[in-house]
Amino acid sequence: MAESLFDRLSAGLAQPLAAEPVTLVIFGGTGDLAHRKLLPALYNLHVDGLLPPRFAVVGIGRGDLTDEAYRDFAKDGVVHFSRRPPDEAVWKIFAESLYFVSASFDDPKAFAPLGSRLDVIEHERGLTGNRIYYLAVPPSMFVPTVKNLAHAKFIGPPDTPPFSRLIVEKPIGRDLASALTIDDAIAEVFDEKQIYRIDHYCGKETVQNILVMRFANSIFEPLFNQKYIDHVQITVAEEEGVGTRAGYYDQAGALRDMVQNHILQLLTLVAMEPPRSLDAEVVRDEKLEVIQSLRPIDAAAVDSQAVRAQYTAGFDLGSPVPGYRDEPGVDTGSRTETYVALQFFVDNWRWAGVPFFVRTGKRLPKRASEISIHLKGVPPILFNTDPAARLDPNVLSIRIQPDEGFALAISSKIPGPRVRIYPVKMDFQYGSTFGNISPEAYERLLLDVMAGDPTLFMRRDTVEAAWRWVMPVLDRWAEQKDAPLATYAAGDWGPPEADRLIESTGRRWRDL
Amino acid sequence: MSDRLTRVSSPAAIEDDLAALWRDAARDAPIARALMANLVVYRDCPAADEVDLSAPLEGVPIDEVIERHPSRLIRLHHGGRPDPGAPVGATISVLLFDTAGARFGVEEIAVRSSCADASLPSIVRRLALGDIPTSIWWTEDLSHSTPLEALVTMGRQLLYDSRRWADLRRGFLALAALAAHPHGPDLADLNWRRLTPLRQALAHAVVAIGAPLDALDPRALGLRVRHGRNERALAWLLAGWFSARLGWTANDEWPVTIEEQPDGEAILTVSLGAGAITATMTAQHVLVDYNGRVAPFSMAVPHESEAEAVAAELRSLTYDSGLRDALAALAARLTSSGSL
Repeated sequence: MAESLFDRLSAGLAQPLAAEPVTLVIFGGTGDLAHRKLLPALYNLHVDGLLPPRFAVVGIGRGDLTDEAYRDFAKDGVVHFSRRPPDEAVWKIFAESLYFVSASFDDPKAFAPLGSRLDVIEHERGLTGNRIYYLAVPPSMFVPTVKNLAHAKFIGPPDTPPFSRLIVEKPIGRDLASALTIDDAIAEVFDEKQIYRIDHYCGKETVQNILVMRFANSIFEPLFNQKYIDHVQITVAEEEGVGTRAGYYDQAGALRDMVQNHILQLLTLVAMEPPRSLDAEVVRDEKLEVIQSLRPIDAAAVDSQAVRAQYTAGFDLGSPVPGYRDEPGVDTGSRTETYVALQFFVDNWRWAGVPFFVRTGKRLPKRASEISIHLKGVPPILFNTDPAARLDPNVLSIRIQPDEGFALAISSKIPGPRVRIYPVKMDFQYGSTFGNISPEAYERLLLDVMAGDPTLFMRRDTVEAAWRWVMPVLDRWAEQKDAPLATYAAGDWGPPEADRLIESTGRRWRDL
Repeated sequence: MSDRLTRVSSPAAIEDDLAALWRDAARDAPIARALMANLVVYRDCPAADEVDLSAPLEGVPIDEVIERHPSRLIRLHHGGRPDPGAPVGATISVLLFDTAGARFGVEEIAVRSSCADASLPSIVRRLALGDIPTSIWWTEDLSHSTPLEALVTMGRQLLYDSRRWADLRRGFLALAALAAHPHGPDLADLNWRRLTPLRQALAHAVVAIGAPLDALDPRALGLRVRHGRNERALAWLLAGWFSARLGWTANDEWPVTIEEQPDGEAILTVSLGAGAITATMTAQHVLVDYNGRVAPFSMAVPHESEAEAVAAELRSLTYDSGLRDALAALAARLTSSGSL
């Protein structure tokens, strides 16, 4: 078959061609996520020439906005939250692709006029009917919105053009049962191939770099196993309190908000076996394998392997801040955990016996997300014989935020006539190596959905396996309604119980 | 924000003096030495003795480039009366950057030389670090000051800007020869980079009416390119790309018309297939028009400073087959027809 003109002209382009023409329909188009993240991300993709040349964004919301007013709303988001300020000439072209439709997501009657408007927009802009539906709405709205999309016949079959894709924001459910309910309802309408469950952590550069670091460097991968690794720590610390998310957070807590999704996704990348290819399903199979290899924490083990706590009044950089129960929107008798620490094991050949420690919380001293891989120490021979001056073991730390990069702590001789050893750090920082070029996580993820690449998105079986693993902890805590709840002062690194959790194994939390 | 610590050194003492300078830079606070590559910047200087090595290069945003792509910067100021001796002077600097809490430094070595051309590579070989890639940034008009083959083939990448060229024919032929060199560097032309949005838009543009165009003999498509002032090289690069991609050989009649359109904001206006597709590239966007038959579309042209573009090219370190093919097609055309 003769090469088409498109094939001839697209060959050898330095960057891949933008995806097919598409309409991005954002349910919750006037919400916080759209304002702070999605619209700025789309603007930056436009500036970088990565959006399809034929493209439209249609924000759907209950407000009564004109297209012009929606463009102003989007511009405000770009001004305040984009990594680049808007350039007037570029903005003008981008703004022409933005539209707004007022509709109630749970009202089936609203979808007929919405469909008509979408048809008109697509005709005007020469679009082919490819659509991405983004559910930037509370989880309670997932099912009604999806059902109305189906009822209005908005969804095409999975393998026939034009394509229909769905982006779902976490949290997907608040426990295994509700996750299954949501997944079942979505599956009645969308094929799994059409569903993109987004976890923005997976779009971060450093997170993507974990696989590159492990499998593109022969120095590290041979060490990633029980023979050389003493233990692994994963920390996701937030300095903020519950802020404006009290309504959601007080129902969720740290285990649901962070561990079930973000942290287990990080774990899969650190612990997975080398995939045989970078094909999306191959990579996602390996991630699932890690979750399925997690040793269940049964009810009896919860008390010794899991710590939950809640912050009380304290200080943030010297300023007094209220305790969790005094935050606006939080029940004064709330028992919701704002901090979790866990110890667990990945029961496979590679990681047998290697403890993994996880901690996450709000109102900790600083915002810091890090994975640290602690290697075993050298034998107490030669340079490690003095009990008073033990050598620090090597630590490979992967910083996810802020100051993205990784560092290797090694021991080095201090210059001088005596052999004195000092821990030094070999440090790679994205900022100082590549400059400030990292795109926001949502830019990468939106582009992947447009291109139909699900590698960085969570598959249904993985989400459900993650819920299955955390459920015994949630159930046990639900049983312990009257047990005292551990606390920590805002601005501390967590409760003493969390220190005891790790120190009882002869280890300690890493200073961040 | 950046600060600069500079010292006069001598060619023999550069490494020791640099080490001392780094120690001084880290005296008050720890500093990370950022280093991804060797970046060799070549400058002609007819009177080498008069060059002030500590002065910034006029019209070349070096500091901005190495902030984005931290490199050991080796500035070669070469020319003047040939002297059989070694380089006649050297200055070393450490540039300190403090961005978003990350404090890092980048080193610069400026060398003044009037030695024979053939010995220039020995200077680079001595100063370049061996375990990182070396890029050569030719900031001169390459069509006037043809790079020394022994120098540019030391690098993994040769970066230049054909927009600066006074003599397109000489420039294209010189580059085509380098592109064909078995040990030639990867070529990176900033002007070619500017063409990317237009190439992308044209590739997309043919999809809408692909079938009728696909049915045509590629030679019958016809290409008319109008270019703005100072954009002649860009127009020729586009023509070279079309020639390569559509298989227009040097022996065929060339279905290309290139002319200047000095007025207006258009950088290039391309008409393909007797006006079936017209693409206009300005500094902001590429507008594709189908003469009313299909809805037009536009694509953004990324806004980049010269420093951002240079840093992006330095980072890419890739073999650009499109540019090589375009240069080969232009060289074949120039060889057969004799002129542009």
